[in-house]
Amino acid sequence: MTDLVCIQTDDFDLAGEYRRLRDISSRVGAIVTFCGLVRDFESSSSEIDPDAPINNLTLQHYPGMTEALLANIVEQAKIRWPLYGVTVIHRIGTLAPTDQIVFVGVATEHRKQAFDAAQFLMDYLKTQATFWKKVTAEGKEQWLDAKGSDNDAAAEWGESRDD
Amino acid sequence: MIDLLFFGRLGDLADEVDRSVACIEGRATPLAIREWLAVDHQDLANELSEPQVLVSVNKMIVKWNQPLFDGDELAFLPPVTGG
Repeated sequence: MTDLVCIQTDDFDLAGEYRRLRDISSRVGAIVTFCGLVRDFESSSSEIDPDAPINNLTLQHYPGMTEALLANIVEQAKIRWPLYGVTVIHRIGTLAPTDQIVFVGVATEHRKQAFDAAQFLMDYLKTQATFWKKVTAEGKEQWLDAKGSDNDAAAEWGESRDD
Repeated sequence: MIDLLFFGRLGDLADEVDRSVACIEGRATPLAIREWLAVDHQDLANELSEPQVLVSVNKMIVKWNQPLFDGDELAFLPPVTGG
């Protein structure tokens, strides 16, 4: 089992995830990992003061559908690049600023494949995986809006949906 | 019966919506259910009419005119914001 897709409330261990990818094969020559964190400000919402500190962030997802979509995104990456292993971990539930929220890691023979595949996985995850973020700031809860820049980034990889 | 799911901000607007609706086999569609919701929940129906809102049936993205059947799980999905 060289791929790992997890949706979990628990935190993850960057060193442990790196080690798992490194141990997959002695042919692995490049590992790129990305880790997303919860910021303490939110500039993408029209209803939240960008200077107001974020108290917390809650992540909702669609159980069953999210797992299938992430597995599909991983398969698409494996069609595009020769990947020895892929890890995608996304946390759900309530998180605080500076908490780790998402991890993507890929193991390949060469660095460009690893950088590109990691970027592709994040771009697709951001625009296709069924997660929704709600932030609490100044005592107010607010669901976040999707960013056009994320859709633009995903679109640069070409047609992604079957429909 | 058809189970209804609302995610993100749609869930807040659908607070008082019955999550299980009876329908005539194959005659109901996501669009028809949206129109039915508009009778009592206009704010929700307005938000559901936004072009970025997607619908899924049994966890597969479908078109708004997809026929629905007894036991289907219909979900309304606002633009995703994970990562």
